[in-house]
Amino acid sequence: MSAERSAAEAASEQAQSRTRTQVADVDRSLYDFTKSEEGYERYDDGLTPDIVRSISAKKDEPDWMLEMRLAALEEYHRRPMAPNWGPSIAGLDLDHISTYVSPKTKQAKSWDDVPEDIKDTFERLGIPEAERESLAGVGAQYDSEIVYHNMREDVAKQGVVYTTIEDALHDPQWEPVVHQYFGTLIPPTDHKFAALHYAVWSGGSFVYVPAGVTLDYPLQSYFRLNAAGAGQFEHTLIIVEPGANLHFIEGCSAPKYYEANLHAGAVELFVKDGARLRYSTIENWSKNMYNLNTKRATVGADAKMEWVSGSFGSHVSYLYPTTIMAGDRSSCEFTGITFAGATQDLDTGCKVIMNGADTTASVDTKSISKDGGVNTFRSSVVVGRHADRARCSVSCQSLMLDDISRSDTIPAMDVRNATAQVGHEATIGRISDDTILYLMSRGCSEAEARTLVVNGFANPVSKELPLEYAVEMNNLIKMEMEGAIG
Amino acid sequence: MAGEKNLAAAGAPATGALTLGRVNAAPAQTWNRLRTNDVTLTVPVRDRKGDVYFALPRLFEGVACGMGADVTAWAESQAAGARYVEVPRGERRAEPIVVSVSAAAGEVADTGVMVRAGAEATIVVAAGTTAGDSAPSEGAPDAAPTSGSLLRVIAERGARVRIVEVIGVGAGEQHLESVGIRAEADARVEVSQYALGGGTVTLGLSCDLTGDRARIDLTQRYHAAGSEHLDVNEVVRHHGRGTRSELAYSGVLEDAAAKSLRTTIDLVHGARGAQGNEAEAVLVLGDDVTNKTLPVILCDEDDVAGNHGATIGSVSPEQLAFLASRGLSREDAEALFVRALFEDAIMAAPCDEARAVAVARAEAVLGPEVAHDFSDSLGEGGEDAC
Repeated sequence: MSAERSAAEAASEQAQSRTRTQVADVDRSLYDFTKSEEGYERYDDGLTPDIVRSISAKKDEPDWMLEMRLAALEEYHRRPMAPNWGPSIAGLDLDHISTYVSPKTKQAKSWDDVPEDIKDTFERLGIPEAERESLAGVGAQYDSEIVYHNMREDVAKQGVVYTTIEDALHDPQWEPVVHQYFGTLIPPTDHKFAALHYAVWSGGSFVYVPAGVTLDYPLQSYFRLNAAGAGQFEHTLIIVEPGANLHFIEGCSAPKYYEANLHAGAVELFVKDGARLRYSTIENWSKNMYNLNTKRATVGADAKMEWVSGSFGSHVSYLYPTTIMAGDRSSCEFTGITFAGATQDLDTGCKVIMNGADTTASVDTKSISKDGGVNTFRSSVVVGRHADRARCSVSCQSLMLDDISRSDTIPAMDVRNATAQVGHEATIGRISDDTILYLMSRGCSEAEARTLVVNGFANPVSKELPLEYAVEMNNLIKMEMEGAIG
Repeated sequence: MAGEKNLAAAGAPATGALTLGRVNAAPAQTWNRLRTNDVTLTVPVRDRKGDVYFALPRLFEGVACGMGADVTAWAESQAAGARYVEVPRGERRAEPIVVSVSAAAGEVADTGVMVRAGAEATIVVAAGTTAGDSAPSEGAPDAAPTSGSLLRVIAERGARVRIVEVIGVGAGEQHLESVGIRAEADARVEVSQYALGGGTVTLGLSCDLTGDRARIDLTQRYHAAGSEHLDVNEVVRHHGRGTRSELAYSGVLEDAAAKSLRTTIDLVHGARGAQGNEAEAVLVLGDDVTNKTLPVILCDEDDVAGNHGATIGSVSPEQLAFLASRGLSREDAEALFVRALFEDAIMAAPCDEARAVAVARAEAVLGPEVAHDFSDSLGEGGEDAC
């Protein structure tokens, strides 16, 4: 009997020591290039009321905004981080972060007017080309300020406004609108880094889509953090009026440094009755970045909110786009993928709050962990007492590519309506030997089979992206796999 | 009784109350604003000055219990005795090991069971409201009448352990049920839990599958109505290779009942070939129900599989239409779900003490006639009466 067991254990050992899928690190050469900061305006490291006043003064803001900044600064200092959950941010020291770094250039409407080194940066990232081919408008932020902003004339003629928050604040028509919405969906008291954001925010976008207007092409904002030891705190405020339709794309990247960088942006999305907003993000920060970003949408009656989210970069991420389904028959779809490699601890997911009757929500996420990377899928679904007949399904699939990585799923559900239906499923595992064997029996090599499975795993997300962004995502996963499987 | 020691200490009336924070804490926590990470409980405390605390063998200190260290310390200090039961190697113990406590009497039990290699045993926890031989609890200021059971089990290689827990307290009472299990190689543990409400029922289970191919199969059925509260935290850690956990939860929530269920499948590094599955089905029948669920999978090993599924909702219109075509109204259909749950609890109770708890709760929820129908169908004492 013991001999039989030994044989079985030996066979098991042999199977367990099989060749694992080897996936190389993301090729970051496309993103890992730096430009000199010579001549840039850089505020002192740290966080003081004087720095906050300086940022506000530089932007010549209304008084209410300065008051909001200073109150948020107090909130930041007062507020502790939750001690019982989330990745460590011990390596982040605000005393060694500059909250404002800006190239000495004015915002341009033509790429020809953008300084050569900055223009070169965005050309290498493919932004001007994308603008020419498939976008209705582009905003490009370099460190703390928007350096380029432009929108197609035909879109502007429809009454669409796409500008910076700063410019909107200086426009008598739009300043009251910004004042009405800014900081209402994500209040400065939301959490510690929301407070920090409101104290030192700079850059970002203001988008207003009039009622009934449909944009045929997406708008895109791209955020590039070039400076070492700096923070980027852009604020995006989008208002989609009743019956309007917008696709907004957000991209971000940074070169790698050995000192911590911080991204603490905020995205507030107001999707009015019968409107539709798709918000797509490909996040590819470098691995020295603490990405503590906050995104939130409120959705009116018969309106639809769609999130497409790809998280590939950063050292630590806390990222949970939130959808408040306030209106009856509103709907929400969240499709996301997170890829955590060496040195990365990515805590991502989403929150759905269903308050309206007959609301529907669908969450579909994938995660891939390799080389010691840590993935945590964290979500919450809250169904309120008035959300009659609400329907929600959450699906979370995690793929482990080696035994030194980690993948956790922490989904919470709080249902307070007897007529609601909430479903949740989560799976964690590796690529099964049976699947590989089946594909090999159909003529694939083992390497091809494993590549096929991982690409298929990511496909539901990439197919939701515009072609050029799907290509970028594949650049981050697929291409590196094909050459690296041993 | 052979192999059993009751290390008894004298009981004393409750003289004070103690607030225990972070009870039933999930190992991996989430947003605190959801108020789902843990629960705070206030429990009565007896004056034990001058008492000698009798404890289980030190070996059991290494067995973590589901409700947490504070509840373990409270139960150890408040239990009338520390009961140690050992089932010898290879022995199949027919007689169940019964732990019976009453919230009305304020009873707390501390039990350790060692099931030696290849042995088999059944353990029954019956937590009810009947005072029995004990004097009614005088209660404590600021604390509800409370019962508690601390059960720690070590299942050695190849052991088979069946645990049945039937819990139903009275209105305004609470019960703390904290279980710790260590399963060694090829051990198999089956757990059947019936949380039948009545007041506040809190239940925690922690199971470490330390040996290769160890396995736990856990089913829990629950019912809560009125303003009753159910709080559950169950954790299975897979350490050994080829270990397996199957966790299945189903229950009915009515009126303004509140339920929090935290489950964690922890696939520890090195647990190659391990598999953990967890499923929950909740039937929500009350407009003011609060149903919280936190099903967590922690994975630190690639050659494993972890799965979770949950469905939360009411009887669907399609199901109701089907039942209506068979002459059943919505109320009839919903009553059938509740009745089936209590019937199962009564049928599965392996001894009189457990059956009495289930029947008492069935009487309170469904009425005496229905409860007696169940009892009658079992005959005198039932086949497995102890």
